Amino acid sequence: MSQRMNRREFLRVSASVAAGAALAACAPPAAQPAKEAEKPAGKTAPTPAEKKITVKFMNWWGAEREAIMNEVIARFEEEHPDIEVVNAVQPWDNRAERAATAIASRNPPAVIMTPRVETYKFAHEGLIIPITEYVKASGLNVDEIFYEGEINNQRWEGELWAFPLPTAGGATGQYLYNKKLLSKAGFDPEKPPETWQELEQVAKAVTVLDEAGIQVLGADVGNFPAWLYTNNGKYCTDDARKLTFNSPEGVETLEWMVKFTNEINGGIENVNDFWEGTSDTSADFPFYTDRVAIWFTGVWAFGHLKTWDPELWKDTNSWGAALRPYNGNNPKAAHHGVSGLQWAWGYVIPKNLPKEVQDAAYKWVEFLGTDPRGGCYFLFKQGRPSPVKKCNENPEYYKANPYWDVVLKSLESDVSVPITPVQSQIDDILNQAIQEAFYGKKDPKEALDWAAEKGQAVLDKFWSGS
Amino acid sequence: MSRRALRKADAVESRAGPLARLSQFKARHRGWIGYVFILPWLVSFLWFDLIPFVLNLYLSFTDYSVGVKWPNWVGLANYTEMFTEDHLYGLSLKNTIYYMGFSVPLGIIFAFAIALLLNTDIRGRTAYRTIYYIPAVVPAVAASMIWLWIFHTRYGILNQVLRLVGIGSIRWLTRPEWAKPALIIMSLWGFGAQMVIFLAGLQGIPGELYEAAEIDGAGHWHKMRYVTIPLMTPTILFNLIMGIIGGFQVFTAAFIMTNGGPLNATLFYMLHLYNNAFRYFRMGYASAMAVVLFFIILIFTLLMMRTSERWVYYGGS
Repeated sequence: MSQRMNRREFLRVSASVAAGAALAACAPPAAQPAKEAEKPAGKTAPTPAEKKITVKFMNWWGAEREAIMNEVIARFEEEHPDIEVVNAVQPWDNRAERAATAIASRNPPAVIMTPRVETYKFAHEGLIIPITEYVKASGLNVDEIFYEGEINNQRWEGELWAFPLPTAGGATGQYLYNKKLLSKAGFDPEKPPETWQELEQVAKAVTVLDEAGIQVLGADVGNFPAWLYTNNGKYCTDDARKLTFNSPEGVETLEWMVKFTNEINGGIENVNDFWEGTSDTSADFPFYTDRVAIWFTGVWAFGHLKTWDPELWKDTNSWGAALRPYNGNNPKAAHHGVSGLQWAWGYVIPKNLPKEVQDAAYKWVEFLGTDPRGGCYFLFKQGRPSPVKKCNENPEYYKANPYWDVVLKSLESDVSVPITPVQSQIDDILNQAIQEAFYGKKDPKEALDWAAEKGQAVLDKFWSGS
Repeated sequence: MSRRALRKADAVESRAGPLARLSQFKARHRGWIGYVFILPWLVSFLWFDLIPFVLNLYLSFTDYSVGVKWPNWVGLANYTEMFTEDHLYGLSLKNTIYYMGFSVPLGIIFAFAIALLLNTDIRGRTAYRTIYYIPAVVPAVAASMIWLWIFHTRYGILNQVLRLVGIGSIRWLTRPEWAKPALIIMSLWGFGAQMVIFLAGLQGIPGELYEAAEIDGAGHWHKMRYVTIPLMTPTILFNLIMGIIGGFQVFTAAFIMTNGGPLNATLFYMLHLYNNAFRYFRMGYASAMAVVLFFIILIFTLLMMRTSERWVYYGGS
């Protein structure tokens, strides 16, 4: 009997093989762990090690942080011998794609480290579980434990989705300054600028321009949302349904930023050129080499300064820290920072997991997020503050960081801006408008009105569910 | 194979064991054994090209976002938004066409010129060929980092040279007017792959044609004009089409060096698509953008193929 296969049959078989192989590749792993298969023959009663639930922890705490995280994991596993946490550190490249594909897969990791905007997006799509009930069962009062600006970043639609770590606050509420440059320009180095107006005076006196641009930078006043809050402005309404950054306070803020940049720094291109190719994880960073008087940066900068210029770090007569200046002409204005618009990290638990794995995953995120031996220790080792208020009272912090009081004040004054899963789009629209204002393509009011109109359309579309 | 031959093969099998069975198997299935050889490609084509393409086409009519199992059908909404609401869509397309319009012809001219030089009898020709090819194998990310420093306004080597010759500094990556030209200059650095193809083409030109031209009194220019260039037109067409396809897909340099700025001057089509897919998680919209890009490239390619009848010379045609 002839078994000749025609082309159509062949293609059908090929397609079936391909589809079968692909489905097999996408299928979740067998419930029986590999270790089970390696069990010696004849042994029937499972040992505690074999009953362990594996929590795969996908995160981006690489480099020197990995070893500290492993230490935290060891502490957790000691307390929970039935859980094994696998520290799955990921490369930073293609972070968003990795997180998205992992969470959407049929076999997601048990815990994924995500920024706030992605947490909201995943929550909105029903891809992760809220931890509200777990928290209730644990008896934790998260509003007492965490800074308001930190825990609110992890809330969406009335549910809590993650514990924050590290702080999103402290990213914009403070600045570091070079005391030597201030002294040289005739200012008291122990009285850093408190207001916009004082900042202008210092920057004017310190900035040195030449034909190629900026040689010494007084201050770079980028970051509109942070300055907006130091002028008593608001990004949007509390229910995140209406954008308000084009309010009179917003327009005044952007006008001030543009004027400052043009008159003191010689324009935005000078500023961009100045920062081009620089990194605060390099010894030749301008602040470490006395080429920046006032550096608006986050709490991570302390650790970087200590690592990359230990001499400067020790010499507190040469540098200091202070809170972000506010508009001295606005009586309602005060020091403020923004505790993360899109970027506030949390640790989410995917929905597509067995219940026992989710339970184990929660135990791990609770330990990491709230336990003094967990996230507190992890951040302390990096010289960074914790979103847990109590952890920052550790007296060792005051010994480790000469400006710890400034850090704490900054955290207290940080604002959690209400956002939605479409915040990235709104941010991009606003950034375009701000660039157009800086480049003189639009005046500040026109630019902000345009951004508010475009951004509002995106927001309205989101809320309408279309 | 005839029935009689098969019966014979069966008889042989019953007498001669496994070897004969193998021989019989081969005889029976000779017709489709070729398919087995192309099976790896076929599976890869189905799984990595055809099925994603069809799925992408379907998703472009939905509001698909990451993790959504059953996205909503939105008809032509994504396409309508692209052409009427998305204020960056037209700009990203314009930026891409500008980039492609300069980088592709300049790349071809540059690669062709170097290939001509490397096709002459100079000493160390092989070494030169290797040296010129090396940039083509440098990863795009590494090349971008190198070029970031080359373009640096204050410390970059390019501006140092410009200052030496009295032109002065150019803000390559921070001034909107210069950002695209900077990336076009950078694109020329990877001309090695095109150069190798040109070299292969040049070496395929029969020597007797040049001899005949010389007998007719042709100098260097005339040999180039009437022999080399006409015979290289199929290679030029190939490089042109590949260049257009690559030009429309420019991404890495802008992603790493400028992130689309300043003032969206380097927001290329693929970067805008990427932002929609992985920053905004608007996969359905990004799919629609991919479909439109496919048709744009297809149209350009067909246009090239159609016009090639007028300017591409195939020997004997």
